[in-house]
Amino acid sequence: MDEFGKMAAREREANRIARRQWFWLHFAVYLTTQVFLVITWALGDSTFPWYVYPLFGWGIFIAAHAVYAFVVKTPEEIMIERESRTSEGRD
Amino acid sequence: MSWLLGAFSDRRTYGSLVYSLLGLPIGIFGFTIVVTGFALGLGLAITLLGIPVLVATLIFVRAMASIERRLAWSLLDATMPRRPPMSPLSQGFLWGRLRDLVSARQTWREIGFILLRLPLGVVAFTIAITLIGLMFGGFVMPILVVVGVESQIGSWIIDTIPESFFYLPISLLFLLVGPRILLGWGQVSGRIATSFLGVMDRRELKRAVTETLVRTGEADAFSILSEMELRLGRGPSVNPTRVEATLMALESTGQVQAHREGSTTMYRLRDDKPLGQR
Repeated sequence: MDEFGKMAAREREANRIARRQWFWLHFAVYLTTQVFLVITWALGDSTFPWYVYPLFGWGIFIAAHAVYAFVVKTPEEIMIERESRTSEGRD
Repeated sequence: MSWLLGAFSDRRTYGSLVYSLLGLPIGIFGFTIVVTGFALGLGLAITLLGIPVLVATLIFVRAMASIERRLAWSLLDATMPRRPPMSPLSQGFLWGRLRDLVSARQTWREIGFILLRLPLGVVAFTIAITLIGLMFGGFVMPILVVVGVESQIGSWIIDTIPESFFYLPISLLFLLVGPRILLGWGQVSGRIATSFLGVMDRRELKRAVTETLVRTGEADAFSILSEMELRLGRGPSVNPTRVEATLMALESTGQVQAHREGSTTMYRLRDDKPLGQR
């Protein structure tokens, strides 16, 4: 890998870290809110579990955000990784 | 504290306010035209009358996206390429131009953005109006009582001066945090606009890299990147990873020759490929 490749890899890694940090922040807000809602439900008239609506509704976005933060790669990233593996194999 | 107060003097805060307030009318306008155009065009396509309607809708989408790009760039400082992120339409017959317009991934991104602008516009408008109400409501309420206008919060009627000051601490709090919220929302809106309207597709990026190599002759990737940043602006279109991947793609198809010089790789266009084949 040449100097430019190293710089690009460092930038990709920084972006990846930032994406994960944003996810954990989102998850912390989600968790705090859900705990607050469940406590509100338990302290009030706890017959109908209405807290499941925000739990699952927002949960869909949490799941999507997790996929984006930990799984998704751009086509360029995939291509560079494949190319690096191929050149490592050649070396 | 300076983080909060800094938003007051930031031009983008006011840009975000204007962008949010414009979001609703622009969103309704774009959504209506696009949905009506496609519904009418596809419905009438069998009679061939629908084809010009579909073409007109696509042209509208392109014009609207161009306005949106300019709005996001000027009001939110969103990263946008300094020229449209798609190839100019072919100069040939109408059919060729139409094929370019329909096959460009950017056209579909633009349609997606115009459709998304309605729900986003509703959210943005609601945030802006609520913040304005919260920020200034407490100051307006005493004036309303003095001039004899009653205000109401739920079932509570505010008709005396002491009661009218109840709202003031809330307004003071929101006067402090409101601009920061607007600035943050503006940044989110800018990122959404950039991801839909500001990303150059791969074909266009290849063309831009090739043009840069024509201009610079032999160059390393750092020079190619900085040259492209100068011309097109840095952002999701032009960044080290995309430039590296594009150079790899051009090298693998034989359009570009690469050779190592120490720790850097130098690139140049292959001499045996005439410009038309690149």
